[in-house]
Amino acid sequence: MKKTAAANTHQVILDSIADGVFTVDLNWRITSFNAAAERITGVKRAEAIGRHCCDVFRASCCETECALKSTRRTGRPVVSKAVYILKADGERIPISISTAVLRDERGRVIGGVETFRDLSQVEELRKELEGRYTFADIVGRSPAMQRLFELLPQVADSTSTVLIEGESGTGKELVARAIHNLSPRAKRRFVALNCGALPDTLLESELFGYKAGAFTDARRDKPGRLALAHRGTLFLDEIGDVSAAMQTRLLRVLQERVYEPLGAIEPVAVDVRIVAATHRDLDEMVRAGRFREDLYYRVNVVRLRLPPLRERREDIPLLIERFITRFNRVQNKDIVGLSDGAMAILMAHDYPGNVRELENIIEHAFVLCRAGLIEPQHLPPALQAAGKVSRRFKTGLTLREVEAIHINDALRRHRGNRAAAARELGVNASTLFRKLQKPGGAVPGASAPRARSKRPG
Amino acid sequence: MIVAIPTLEERVSPVFDVARCVMVVELDGEREVRRQTLALHSPDPTRRVAALTEQAVNVLICGAVSRPLEALLSAAGVRVISQTCGPVEDVLRGFIAGRLSDGAFLMPGCCGGRRQCRRGGPGLRCRPGGPRRRRARRRNADGTGPKAAGA
Repeated sequence: MKKTAAANTHQVILDSIADGVFTVDLNWRITSFNAAAERITGVKRAEAIGRHCCDVFRASCCETECALKSTRRTGRPVVSKAVYILKADGERIPISISTAVLRDERGRVIGGVETFRDLSQVEELRKELEGRYTFADIVGRSPAMQRLFELLPQVADSTSTVLIEGESGTGKELVARAIHNLSPRAKRRFVALNCGALPDTLLESELFGYKAGAFTDARRDKPGRLALAHRGTLFLDEIGDVSAAMQTRLLRVLQERVYEPLGAIEPVAVDVRIVAATHRDLDEMVRAGRFREDLYYRVNVVRLRLPPLRERREDIPLLIERFITRFNRVQNKDIVGLSDGAMAILMAHDYPGNVRELENIIEHAFVLCRAGLIEPQHLPPALQAAGKVSRRFKTGLTLREVEAIHINDALRRHRGNRAAAARELGVNASTLFRKLQKPGGAVPGASAPRARSKRPG
Repeated sequence: MIVAIPTLEERVSPVFDVARCVMVVELDGEREVRRQTLALHSPDPTRRVAALTEQAVNVLICGAVSRPLEALLSAAGVRVISQTCGPVEDVLRGFIAGRLSDGAFLMPGCCGGRRQCRRGGPGLRCRPGGPRRRRARRRNADGTGPKAAGA
């Protein structure tokens, strides 16, 4: 009688929990199943009791890495492992599971308990947030990118020439395309030309086109990129790399909106919006006399700066997720994400090649990783080596210790420049200074202000 | 007829999407002609389907299966009898004897009107609260509705 009352009490307690809970005996048969488990799995308690746990639970991990089996084998609990279950109608439900061993009064193992939490809502919220953090294929939750997202529709609406500044691989063409796609010219063509990749003569014929007979082998008229982009948008990448002679020709197009194809007698009028981009410091080039000042002012009407990835590290996990989703789709794979070790290595890397480099790293990992999580050994060897040297986030560190390591790493990367380190860490310089004052907040010497050095590019 | 059953430790694998091993049995009427075991390495749904179609599998008897994978199987002409559980040999015998609808072979939570895909066509879905019952086709009191047989 007492036992029945105790069992009833236990059932009431279990049913009052919002997470699904079930227990199994030594033969993996279900011995208890709470109300939340019924709701999440869609299986009634009466049907579940006495059945094999994998027939009831139908989780993605049942076959390959059953958490309960692992806990019973090792004695160690599994905590918040992300998997999915399949309901009877084939719907996938993302859940997180935790397990523990059940013992009797004498300490003998009598079974196991598994608790699981429905992550469907979390997943939906995540998707909603992801939507807020993306803009026309550009991904970023960092303040700099959020400001850019706010600015882009207004920039696109205007007809002004735009100058996009940013290091290689920061996504300048992506922004240019976004401007075009959001603009009233979206139905017309977006034509891109990399000015740095072509010698002057070729660039001239590519940009302006030529008439038949303009030179040997010019048998027919060839329209240039300017003609192709008529009423659309012309994206001139690496405009800082064009020669002085070419700068003069470009200036005429921007000033008078006319150009002359090679061999033509009459100038041709063109209605085109120019979006230019460069990885160079055009201010500096103008000062040094290597870029025409008048062209600079023609180009620099609206100026957008794309921050390098090292200045917006908070975007790295979001970008990784985006690349994993895309490569999973393209390569028909089922890679879930990154292990903590691999993520720590990628978060610590400086990315001289910016987003493009991160994309290549994930693509490299996709070649080596068949399924599941991307581990450090799937990353390029150079990164693995760097990870071994710099991996200092051992387990058992307090939050303050991890923060101190992160601050010191940032200070080291910026050679003691606190303002730059604070920018990278996404905090005010005063906040960083306050954290440095706290005991254990900094490594002596790392925070000492030093002579500033300019970063190339 | 060629029948495939994903297996896990001599039982039907609970989730076909991640099953690693599948038993392929060729039947001539009720007689077993050939049997082999295939390894399914790829988690990629299209490769899973291709692995079955390469063996000319007509029927897949499996546990749970996700909707996209089920749709691919149906499109490839594989009839899916999902929500099946139990020891593989019992399930195979049950299939030959036409007894797979017995409760013993149904996964818990399956309503009984479980998914049984027609060749190349959409399957029946497991519905929460049991299978959808057909509304009785009777004439209404006011004389409207379907005509009586032979009318």
